[in-house]
Amino acid sequence: MTAPFQRALRGLKEHTYLAAVATGVIAAVLVLLGVYALVVVNLQAALSGWQEDVHVSAYFNADVSAADQLTAQATIATRTEVASVELVTAPMAAAWMKERVPEVGPLLVELGDSALPASLEVSLRPASTSPAAMDGFAASLSATGQFAEIDYGREWVERAAAFLATLSLLGGVLGIILVVAALFLVGNTIHLVVYARRDELEILRLVGATESYIVTPFLIEGFLEGLVASAFALAILQFVHHGVVLRLHETVPIAFGGQDLAFLPASILFGLVATGITIGILAGWVAVRRFLARLA
Amino acid sequence: MIRLYHIVKSYGDRDALRDISLHIQKGEMVYITGPSGAGKSTLLKMVYGAEHPTSGKLLIGGVDVSKMKHAELPSLRRNMGVVFQDFKLLPSRSVAQNVAMALEVIGASAESIRRRVPAVLNIVGLKGREDDLAGVLSGGEKQRVAIARAIVNDPAMLLADEPTGNLDGAMAVEVMEILQAINLRGTTVLVATHDVGLMDRFPYRKLRFVDGRLVVSPTKGSRS
Repeated sequence: MTAPFQRALRGLKEHTYLAAVATGVIAAVLVLLGVYALVVVNLQAALSGWQEDVHVSAYFNADVSAADQLTAQATIATRTEVASVELVTAPMAAAWMKERVPEVGPLLVELGDSALPASLEVSLRPASTSPAAMDGFAASLSATGQFAEIDYGREWVERAAAFLATLSLLGGVLGIILVVAALFLVGNTIHLVVYARRDELEILRLVGATESYIVTPFLIEGFLEGLVASAFALAILQFVHHGVVLRLHETVPIAFGGQDLAFLPASILFGLVATGITIGILAGWVAVRRFLARLA
Repeated sequence: MIRLYHIVKSYGDRDALRDISLHIQKGEMVYITGPSGAGKSTLLKMVYGAEHPTSGKLLIGGVDVSKMKHAELPSLRRNMGVVFQDFKLLPSRSVAQNVAMALEVIGASAESIRRRVPAVLNIVGLKGREDDLAGVLSGGEKQRVAIARAIVNDPAMLLADEPTGNLDGAMAVEVMEILQAINLRGTTVLVATHDVGLMDRFPYRKLRFVDGRLVVSPTKGSRS
């Protein structure tokens, strides 16, 4: 008996063009899914970095003495949620500003060293960077009456988190739409393959082939097409990651906190391969079953 | 071998076969004849399970084919060969590959296929043509390949639906001679045809259909 695998290879050989089209369609869908996953994975990594880097800037009232500022720094440093506290005196703030924005240098000289307020730059431990924890921390600083303003970028962090959550949700919806569209496209392509082989299927039926005898090679073909498409898609994604994204990253490194953009983790790569193979098998199965039902 | 009891086949309001009862004995060669649309092909389709009767009973070797489930059809078809007017060959495959299809589906070993295919091609006069592509053969040769594929499993029955319809006179005679030889080996042969000349030259019992009715059915199963 000719093994199903051999018959599948013969089918691919006899209908190379259509098999290539089906493979290309699956690969295109996987690349789209993969590019989207690359974006989400790196945004998540960036947001995670930003969240870990969340710190509180507490600006002293002008009447708080340097000694009291040091006392406040020492007191805050003892709190469990605090990772570090740095005192930025008014002269240090002015120097920082002059360095970063040289244009304001003459103005700061004119206003004197106390033009900018002293502040405490407090880095919080990761467990204490939730919006609620930061609210509580800021409220406790306000209660001391030593600070004119407490800035901890809560709104920005919340917005970024909400944006990423929305992006992930959209990604899920988009992913489902893409997979369904791929099934439809690949199904139609494989339907063409099946149609091109209608004579063979009809003959097989006439000579007493069972349904599994007829269907199995198509499933194997779908598997192979999905596997090859996955390999192509991963190669393209690797190329996109190295050739385009990393170059882009070199141009705008600050947007990602100076970190290298990550490639997809193994779990997602495995998921893409599994998706490609599943699409190939499912599309083959649906197409040949539809055709056989019509023959019957 | 084949028994039909009050078979009716309807497509909507149209009756393709009306109350057909007949008996074809094992080893018999029979013509199913009549004008186009008389129901010849419909009858053959019922015998190989491509159609189910609307009512009535169809027994093949004692098995009620009219009630056969879809999944049971392969076992029925493995015991019969079918030949069509349009040959139904795969042109891009060789003669041997086309014939071997019938053996592959029953799980025949490679050794058995290597042995059986040349033997059956010898029967139909295509010895040494194993490697020729089916697409480049003449009509008569194609029909011989189709017959070889139909008989390679030694089926009990051979159904031929207008097997000479696409062939010229000499080739049609050659094909009929092959069918006759197969019948002489003990295979029951049903030939649907409206070629009066061939039926006169190769006289066997005729089942004549007109408008879905069996109008002539001599009971004797020998040449007449």
